[in-house]
Amino acid sequence: MKLGLINITIIIIKKGSTMFKKLTLSALLLAGSLFANSEVNVYSHRHYDTDKELFKMFEDKTGIKVNVVKADASALIKRMQSEGQNSPADVLITVDAGGLFQAKNQGLLQSIDSEYLIANIPEKLRDKDNQWFALTKRARVVLHTLDSTVPNELKTYEDLADPKFKGKIMIRSSNNIYNQSLLAAVIAHHGEEYALQWAKGVVANMAKEPKGNDRYQVTAIANGIGEIAIANTYYVGQMVDNKDVAQAEAVKKVKILFPKFEKGGTHINVSGTGVAKYSPNKDNAIKFIEFLASPDAQKLFAQANFEYPVLQNIEASDVVKSWGTFEDDTISMNVLGENNKLAVKIFDQANWK
Amino acid sequence: MKNFKPLNISSVVLTLLISVPAIIILSHIFLGSSENWEHLKQTVLGDYIFNSLYIMVGVAFLTSIIGFSTAYVTTVFSFSFSNFFHYALILPFAIPTYIVAYIYGGMFDITGTVTTFILNLFDKRLDEVIFFDIMSIEGAIIVMSLVLYPYVYLISKTYLRAESASIIDASKTLGLSQWQIFYKVIIPISRPAIVAGVILAVMEAVSDFGVMDYYGVATFVTGIFRTWFGMGSIEDAARLASLLMLFIFVLIFLEKLQRINKQYKSSGKDFKPISKIKLKGGNNILAFLLCFIPFFLGFLLPFTQMSYWFMLSYHEVIDDSFIQILIQTLIIATFSAFLITALAFIFVYNVRLSKNKTSDILTQIVKLGYSIPGAVVAVGILSFFALIDRYIFNILTLNILISGTIIALIFGYSVRFLAISINNYESGFSKIPSSYDDACKTMNITPITTLRHVILPLIKNSVLASFIIVFIEVIKELPLTLVLRPFNYDTLAILSHEYVNQSQIVQSSVPAMFIVGLGIVSVLILARNMIKD
Repeated sequence: MKLGLINITIIIIKKGSTMFKKLTLSALLLAGSLFANSEVNVYSHRHYDTDKELFKMFEDKTGIKVNVVKADASALIKRMQSEGQNSPADVLITVDAGGLFQAKNQGLLQSIDSEYLIANIPEKLRDKDNQWFALTKRARVVLHTLDSTVPNELKTYEDLADPKFKGKIMIRSSNNIYNQSLLAAVIAHHGEEYALQWAKGVVANMAKEPKGNDRYQVTAIANGIGEIAIANTYYVGQMVDNKDVAQAEAVKKVKILFPKFEKGGTHINVSGTGVAKYSPNKDNAIKFIEFLASPDAQKLFAQANFEYPVLQNIEASDVVKSWGTFEDDTISMNVLGENNKLAVKIFDQANWK
Repeated sequence: MKNFKPLNISSVVLTLLISVPAIIILSHIFLGSSENWEHLKQTVLGDYIFNSLYIMVGVAFLTSIIGFSTAYVTTVFSFSFSNFFHYALILPFAIPTYIVAYIYGGMFDITGTVTTFILNLFDKRLDEVIFFDIMSIEGAIIVMSLVLYPYVYLISKTYLRAESASIIDASKTLGLSQWQIFYKVIIPISRPAIVAGVILAVMEAVSDFGVMDYYGVATFVTGIFRTWFGMGSIEDAARLASLLMLFIFVLIFLEKLQRINKQYKSSGKDFKPISKIKLKGGNNILAFLLCFIPFFLGFLLPFTQMSYWFMLSYHEVIDDSFIQILIQTLIIATFSAFLITALAFIFVYNVRLSKNKTSDILTQIVKLGYSIPGAVVAVGILSFFALIDRYIFNILTLNILISGTIIALIFGYSVRFLAISINNYESGFSKIPSSYDDACKTMNITPITTLRHVILPLIKNSVLASFIIVFIEVIKELPLTLVLRPFNYDTLAILSHEYVNQSQIVQSSVPAMFIVGLGIVSVLILARNMIKD
């Protein structure tokens, strides 16, 4: 420990001087003039350690440097919009279909012509004008305790609004995009009026006022608060072997159940990407996206972040496979984005906090 | 040389520059779609208003009580560990609020470690006991207050140290008891200092997103993001933000209005150090507890949890790139703190010299930046840059983009944190009687000489306090940095945030510990200087 701290101090002092020079330089040079040709500038909402590895792989393979800014998709979209034609952004990456929809709607993306992407990414996982492509999938599922009777009673998302589950459901606030996407899917399947009744039904069934994140809901049911938790699959994966004992212990006590829509499959959302309208390095941008959809990159997505790859022939990780299999819902990702605003309004009407 | 002109002009120009993002946001009060607005009014707007007001009142109440009572006790009395508390009471300020909120959730929530432990101890189930749910609006108020009371503590303390000795002496000769002095004299004269601190605490609480979202509290700010991200309507989000700003504006002016007939300007006579009264027995214990409880809850408890997590994971988190991030954070925070402290001085000194209403109003507008959530400030700034790009650089055919540079980032910090610095100066300046300036004028001493030889030595503590608080705030800042930063540019706060997002709360404690560590060092420097003078 002592040695560690001393080393750190030494490195800090050494690095300090060079860093300072670099920084003053970058402060003086404005962004626009900074970018040479062998670069690709990425605005990303993804914030996982795996991404660093992936970008490094791409740099080693192509010699193209990856520059990244990470923030919420809506903020990045606003930034692209105000930067306009001068925007340095080449690629936008989001963690949900809604963000891609917003970007496309505001004319910030462009159609790209890539045989590889069109041939390998299923139609419902990409934009109809090929302005964006999904990279990974995540399912929004139900969790219950190991000895629970829930699996016998709950088969569909529609069931969640059934009064027999009164006081049993743990689910987070409707501020969250994944809940918004889920309701957007309900709207797509059943229409607006049903969706409102469904949302009201779920609110009536809640064990607690919505709060916390997905992991919080899982921890709650593991500790006997509520019986049904709604969470995204990769959150469950992240809890396994977590250094935070409370999370690691909680996840041992629960099991995943993949609900379906009555006339569809399990609700999924995607993390996806598109090329910016005014991309200064368009060729690099396409190469970059094709790389992210390549088998090597897809394997890493699957192994390291508990997500489902979009390439058909790449397997999920062992942890993910142990949860069982499911069938993707039938509705297109395009619809989730289109219905998002309506979903938020219905949440407000249903008093889903 | 009636008004110091260059100062006046630069102040006006700076105010305009700094307030443009806020004005852009404010202009949305008349924009946005009426359909969305109708929807918000019919459904959630009432909740947003009520909850935000509740938080403002709650945080104002708690921070003023905790902050002022501890400042008073440690200034006037000496008791067990009082010298330690003198420093220690500022420390909660160094811990980012979202970390405290998360740790408190983990301990005292329905499934929390402490809750479970106590329930097991008494062999009870949760539904059999009266349980206070920390993840609620009241819980959020408590958590925010525990971390934000140092604002009130610091500003009150600076004020009391300068003022209380002569006042206490005078009150004693009038035969007032210790309690009467506190109640009838100290509290009323300290009001400007308390209010300056409370306004900062309230503005920070009401612009918070992380804590409120995690604790499930719907406020203006959670509403702003919901409307922006979920409904895709940045106009309506900005409209909500402008309503929030109006709230704060009204708050500041109500306070000013009330103060207008009461001049609490110091006489400046009999400036002398306080001879502290030594407490014994029960009073000693009471004073100790009064200081220990906020220190324990606001700092020691979360700090202990963080230290444990830090030890579990520091070896896997600290590497070359971590050091780089640390240095980047230090550089940007130091530079921003210098700049903001200097800018704020210009504003406040200008108000003092020119004595006109307009400069005062300008300063108040600049302060509003602190009440706007960081991400919304970022939106205002992006729109502002878009205007510059389109109408200035395009005409000059310059292909320059300010967006995504360090300049944009520092501009953002200035918009947001000038209020802190200004509030520090204001309470500092209010201690210097205006007769000093008048005396210098009649002796034909130039304003610059007055500044150097009279004013600066008297407010050097405020300068230092401002520098250090802004320094810590910049290190902790997250939402604005996320949006405005250049490529490949991370800070400690961003790193910590990313770990939290990946469920790696244990690892997130490592960058957070460095934030706290830097905070502690800064606080020690600050407190030392406050002791010395």
